[in-house]
Amino acid sequence: MRRMGALVVACAAAALAPWGAAAESTIRIGFPMPLSGPAAVYGVPVTKGAELAVADINAQGGVLGRKLELLERDSKANADEAVRLSRELILKNNADFLIGTLTSSEAPAVSTIAKENKIVFIAPTAKTIQLTGPANLHPYIFRLASNTDIEGRTGATLVARWKDVKRVATIAPDYAYGRDAVAAFIDFIKKARPDIEIVDQQWPKLGQSDFTPFINAQMGKRPDAVFCDVYGGDFVTLAKQAGPLGYFKAINYRLADGGEVGSVDEARALGADYPFGLWSDAYDPVVWSGDEPPEHKAFVEHLRAFTKDPYGSGWAIMGYSAVEALAAGMKKAGSTDSDKVSKALLGLTFDTPVGKRTFNTATHETDSGEFWGEMVKDEHYPFAIMKEPKYLAQGPLTN
Amino acid sequence: MTVPWSGNRIPWTLMVFLAALWVPWLGSRYDTFLGTQIAIDALFAVSLNLLLGTTGLVSFGHVAYFGIGAYICGILMKTYGVPFALALPAAWLGAAGFALVFGFFCVRLTKIYFAMLTLAFSQIAWAICFKWNGVTGGDQGLPDVPYPDLDWMSALPGLDGLRVSDRFYLLTLALVAVSLAALRRIIGSPFGRMLTAIRENPERAAFIGVNVRRYELAAFVVAGGFAGLAGALFGIFNRGVFADYLYWTKSAEVMIMAILGGMEHFWGPVVGAATLVMLNQQITSYTEYWPFVLGVILLVLLFAFPGGIVGGLVAGVNWLRRRGGGRQSA
Repeated sequence: MRRMGALVVACAAAALAPWGAAAESTIRIGFPMPLSGPAAVYGVPVTKGAELAVADINAQGGVLGRKLELLERDSKANADEAVRLSRELILKNNADFLIGTLTSSEAPAVSTIAKENKIVFIAPTAKTIQLTGPANLHPYIFRLASNTDIEGRTGATLVARWKDVKRVATIAPDYAYGRDAVAAFIDFIKKARPDIEIVDQQWPKLGQSDFTPFINAQMGKRPDAVFCDVYGGDFVTLAKQAGPLGYFKAINYRLADGGEVGSVDEARALGADYPFGLWSDAYDPVVWSGDEPPEHKAFVEHLRAFTKDPYGSGWAIMGYSAVEALAAGMKKAGSTDSDKVSKALLGLTFDTPVGKRTFNTATHETDSGEFWGEMVKDEHYPFAIMKEPKYLAQGPLTN
Repeated sequence: MTVPWSGNRIPWTLMVFLAALWVPWLGSRYDTFLGTQIAIDALFAVSLNLLLGTTGLVSFGHVAYFGIGAYICGILMKTYGVPFALALPAAWLGAAGFALVFGFFCVRLTKIYFAMLTLAFSQIAWAICFKWNGVTGGDQGLPDVPYPDLDWMSALPGLDGLRVSDRFYLLTLALVAVSLAALRRIIGSPFGRMLTAIRENPERAAFIGVNVRRYELAAFVVAGGFAGLAGALFGIFNRGVFADYLYWTKSAEVMIMAILGGMEHFWGPVVGAATLVMLNQQITSYTEYWPFVLGVILLVLLFAFPGGIVGGLVAGVNWLRRRGGGRQSA
């Protein structure tokens, strides 16, 4: 009992410990991101990328003569926890800006808090169109990632190039992300190739453990090509079950997956089980076969050294670029005031290791496309790599 | 509740309410948010405890009614612009209505089967909210739920210069206090005594002519209604309603609150809610390994105080009293 008392006192002391320990002059960036649970697979590399950018910027003297400080918090991939953390970061830890969130519920939830507190919030990875839709747009929200519309359209651009393809099927997780991306894909493929017919649509649920019935039903319709939006752990399950059924072979590996299964992370998760020959996208292919831009090469080497990971991650670039974008905004505004920075970010063009990006003044998005390519075997790596990554933006038929 | 001590005569609800009233003036803006969250979680945990502690029904799906209340209130206020004064009772009735339907099936089972069925219903509710894009916003939720119109508060003396979040805190506190007082009356009433009798020995209660299922269903509906009320307040407090609110992990969280605080005492879940909210926010500020730290603290607390925090405190007070009494008589 006495020991318990000591523990309670220790907890109370921790509760009362002042926050003023950090130097007053740092620019604080609140960073709520899933760092535990299944979503941490993406959350941790995004955080590492942001840490790298902060370290780089601080090594060059910071922004406006002040160092950056990243306040990382585990959002648990949970909207209410992300809201609580954002309030805590803004009100208690005096965060000047927010960067972060991963899932499609966290980002709109935090966006409301950013609006309420007039704090600039950059979402590095959230894809939901609702985040910056007209009903929810406000001066302080910015999105770095591509969105589900762009994902569907770039997939359609790719499939449209396969001239002999006439019968197309889709398979995507049965929730807003999958539904929105497939809707954009169908809308766009019909414009690009009126001769293409959609012969089948499958909607496995998120976290599906048995894809066999979906695969068999789809093969029964004899599609020539498939647009797929299954990603992450679900794609690992799908690939392992579809391979022995001859699914990929039956469509001649004409499967375009818009869910970043072209990332080095996904390729490593599947290893030799990867269905080599299919096509997919990634924010950053990391392993770049072909004409690698020198900035990208430098970035990846730097990232590998920073994270002590021999291969790196395709998600780190999103955290890295979000911090770089914010720093560019502060420099342009000459201030850390969110009202000034939010105006400066509109129309701002900033550098990323894979080329320049610009925040659209109307939508607050970068309209960023993704790198697409065929996933092939390479003797230098124990996993699939993207052959000659090509940057696909919205395609020739933009709205 | 089985140990009568003079503390029962003190109007605790009123005292806690009066003490918590000062947070907006004495604390920071963040403290007000923390206070609002504790008040809402406290009501949620006490509503669960009507089933868990009073009736002896282990519900793993209590979060369903919390979430249904949140969605009803959020959808009415955001999508249809219904005023809060109507949306809140609607959330309450709606959650109680769903509790009636789900509970009708659940009380037909006992023990682990009851628990599994409550969990199944809550996961069904979650899946519907996660997928019904047109109404609930699906996985993207319903962001930007408006605060209720609280301008009338500025007419009250002393509440002039308060922010909207402070006013919402006061409103939440008042609603939670009234709800807790009502729950306290319900538990203390002959109806509540009957629930306790069912918890202690359902067969015997049935033999003396009590319709056990009907009483259990009534408790289920009352608990669901108050959970819905808590959910409605939580949706506004968090400025949005998301399917995460209905996920089963939240059922586990509220159960931890009730057990940690002590489910044999009315105030146990309140203390548990306050403890868990504070622990969570302290630990997550310092480490990303929060599940480990939280787990260890809970383990130690539960071993040190098997009756929960309030159980431990009451045992301590009774022990001191016995000692004091012993000296007097000697």
